[in-house]
Amino acid sequence: MSIYVLSIVVSVLFLIGILELVRRQKLKEQYSLLWIGFSVFLIIVSIDVRLIENISLWLDVKYAPALLFLFGLLFCFALIIHLTVVITKMSKQLLRLTQEITILRERGVTERDHD
Amino acid sequence: MKVLVIIPAYNEEATIHHVIDELRNYMPEVDVVVINDGSTDRTAEIAERAGAKVFTVPYNVGIGGGMQIGYMYAHRMNYDYAVQMDADGQHCASDLPKLIEHAKHHDLVIGSRYVEETSYQSSKMRRIGMIFFSNIITWITKQRITDTTSGYRVANRRVIALYSSYYPTDYPEVESIVYLKRKGCRISEVSTEMRARLGGNSSITPLRSVYYMTKVTLAVLMTALRYER
Repeated sequence: MSIYVLSIVVSVLFLIGILELVRRQKLKEQYSLLWIGFSVFLIIVSIDVRLIENISLWLDVKYAPALLFLFGLLFCFALIIHLTVVITKMSKQLLRLTQEITILRERGVTERDHD
Repeated sequence: MKVLVIIPAYNEEATIHHVIDELRNYMPEVDVVVINDGSTDRTAEIAERAGAKVFTVPYNVGIGGGMQIGYMYAHRMNYDYAVQMDADGQHCASDLPKLIEHAKHHDLVIGSRYVEETSYQSSKMRRIGMIFFSNIITWITKQRITDTTSGYRVANRRVIALYSSYYPTDYPEVESIVYLKRKGCRISEVSTEMRARLGGNSSITPLRSVYYMTKVTLAVLMTALRYER
């Protein structure tokens, strides 16, 4: 089995894995989009090797695989930024919840005292 | 006129009783809430015995998150004025009537150490930081504010509503001023006396002050750049 076939198989399995996680609700649809996009990219690159070579020629990159590393790295950055945005949103929501609970809890205590 | 005094407290058992007592002395009609922000000492118990309403936060949310609880409560309970005050006894309750009087013509009134010469003494580093922030704020808001980090403030209904929808989480003092100016609020400073803290320690260490300066400067610039609808 050549490396080309192998990489196509791995990319397709990767995509199936992501879709399976969404189906089992282990991964939310909105967070899966980035991964689905990434695996589609992997599949395209595996099917047509010349694509990467043409892009590197066009960008004047001497060593075509370097482009793959670049894409991989950029993808990781995008994903991490996305995650920190999600964390920011969640910590805001958590703070609101904590504040609301604090107020509710005090009311609960006061009402019990008055009964 | 309904006035709510908000006192955020994290392990302030040594001073909290005195602060509440002094408030009761000068302004017996105000309501006092202590935001007990995950204290591990007897702060809540002592504050309650002194006659304050105590909100105990399940874990430490920091000064900004805690303060906002007070504003959310003031907003819902329809208070006319919300006062924020430190739990360490630095702020004199005797200045409060004067501050509230000024709040009738302004949205936010800041009790300032530097408007007039007061007996307050601070370290050199602290002074440099204060002057730095004061200049940034003056540059951005076009209003001279000398004591940007003062935690002694009176807010009217408009500011109560604004702060319950947004309040910065850590080191909020400077950013919260710029936020109000962006919303078109009128801010004024009134000279107040500040005592050296009665107990406890300042939370500022050298490493933290670097973070403090950077974070606050960034937050202030971003607030100024934020588009207001």
